[in-house]
Amino acid sequence: MTTPPTSDVDLFADEVVLDPYPVYAELREQGTVVHLLKNDVYALTRYAAIRDALMDWESFSSTSIAFNPMANEALTGTSLASDPPVHTQLRATLTENLSPRALRGLKGRIEAKADVLVAELVEKGSFEAIDALARAFPLEVVADLIGFTGHVRDNMLRWGQAAMQVIGPMNQRTAESFPIAGELYAWCSQVKASDLAEGSVGRGIFDAEARGAIPPDTAGHIIHQYLGAGVDTTVAAIGNVVALFAAHPDQLDLVRENPSLVPAAFNEVLRFWPPVNAWGRRATRDVEIDGTVIPAGAQIAVLLGAGNRDPRHYENPDAFLVERNPVDHLSFGYGPHGCAGQGLARLEAHAVIEALSRRAKRLVVGPEVRVPSNITRSIEELPVLEVIPA
Amino acid sequence: MRIVVDRPRCEGHGLCEEAAPRLMHLDDDGELVLDREEIDEADAALANAAVRVCPVAALRIA
Repeated sequence: MTTPPTSDVDLFADEVVLDPYPVYAELREQGTVVHLLKNDVYALTRYAAIRDALMDWESFSSTSIAFNPMANEALTGTSLASDPPVHTQLRATLTENLSPRALRGLKGRIEAKADVLVAELVEKGSFEAIDALARAFPLEVVADLIGFTGHVRDNMLRWGQAAMQVIGPMNQRTAESFPIAGELYAWCSQVKASDLAEGSVGRGIFDAEARGAIPPDTAGHIIHQYLGAGVDTTVAAIGNVVALFAAHPDQLDLVRENPSLVPAAFNEVLRFWPPVNAWGRRATRDVEIDGTVIPAGAQIAVLLGAGNRDPRHYENPDAFLVERNPVDHLSFGYGPHGCAGQGLARLEAHAVIEALSRRAKRLVVGPEVRVPSNITRSIEELPVLEVIPA
Repeated sequence: MRIVVDRPRCEGHGLCEEAAPRLMHLDDDGELVLDREEIDEADAALANAAVRVCPVAALRIA
C-alpha cells in the first residue's frame, strides 16, 4: 500500500471549472485517488470507486460535502450533510412531498407548461435559450410547487445560484455568495404557511408539520433545501439539453424518430455534462482504494464528471450518444444521498425534451457564454439564432 | 435467489420497473410491488439490472 499520487491541479481554477474534462482525463490516468495539493483534497476519479464511495457512508461521511468549513457548519442538521441513522429520518421527511410518489399528480401540468413554452419559442424562431427556457421553466415549476409569490419568486435564481456557489472552497466566488445564500436562509427561517399559495406542495409541508407527520420547525428547512439544491442544477441541465441537441442534430433526429428515447437522452445529457461535477465527503478512517490509502479525516472530492467519462465503464465516453442510455450515470449521486429531487428533475427535463424534439427539427445556435462557478457548471447565455420547425 | 426491498428507502423512482417489468411494477399509489417472490436462473440478469439501476440503492439480491 502506498500514498496516492499527487497533482498541482486546482480543481476550482477558472479554466478548470469552465472546462474540467481535460483535467479529469489527466487525473483519471494518474490514479483512482489523486491528492490535489492546492486544494488539499483527495479526488476520486474513476467510475467504480466513485459509486462504491457514494454507497459507503460509514467510510465517507457527508458531514463535509462542502469544501469550506463555514458551509459545512451551516448545513449541519440537514439531510444533505448527515449520516445514518440520523440521515434516514431527515431524508424521509425531505422526500415525503418530493418523491416521485408524491409528485405523480404534477406530471400532466408540468408537461402542459413545457409544451406551451416550447411552442411559443419555436413560433418566435429565435430566442435566448438560458433566460427564456432553461431558467424560465424550472423557476416557474419550482415556484408553483412551493407556492412562492412576489419578491421570493424574483429572488429564486440568485438565491439558488448562491446556495450552490458557497459549497466551493473559500475563494472570492464563495465569499461574495455567502451574504446572498444568507438571505435565502433568513427568508426560509421565517416563512409561514400563509406566505405560500394554497394547494401547493410547500403549503403541504407546513400541513405535515402541523399534524405532526414531520418534526416541529422543519418545514422552512425543507423549503430551503428544495430551493438551494433544485434551482441552479435544473437550470444547468435544461440549458445543456438545448446546447447538446443543437450541437448534435443527428442525436436530435434519433429522439424525433423514436420519442421513447426521451429518458435515455436525458440520462446521456446528464452523463455528458453533469450540472454538478464535484461534491465533498470526509474519510472517517484510513480507506484503501486500489492499493493506495486515503488518510482518516481527509477531505474527499468526488469527481462525478470524471467518473461519467471513465472509459473503464463507458465505451467511447467522450461521444454524446442518446442511444447508450446510461441509466447508471453518477450525476444524481447514488445510494442513501442520491439526489432527492431527481424525480422532479426528470419530470421537468423529460417534458422539455419531449416538446422540443416534437416541435423542432433543428436548432441553430450562436456561441455559448460560460461564467466560472464553483460547483454548478452551466451555460450563462446561449442564443438560438434559428429554429427549423418540425 | 430473491429481491429484497428496503421499504423506508424506496421512493418510487421506478427505474427498476423499466429495467425488469416482468419482475416488478409500481402500483397506482406509486408503491413498488414485486411480482415474483423467487427469481429463477433465467431472470437473474434482469433482477441484477433492476438492483443496479435503483438510484437510492433500495434493492438487493438475497
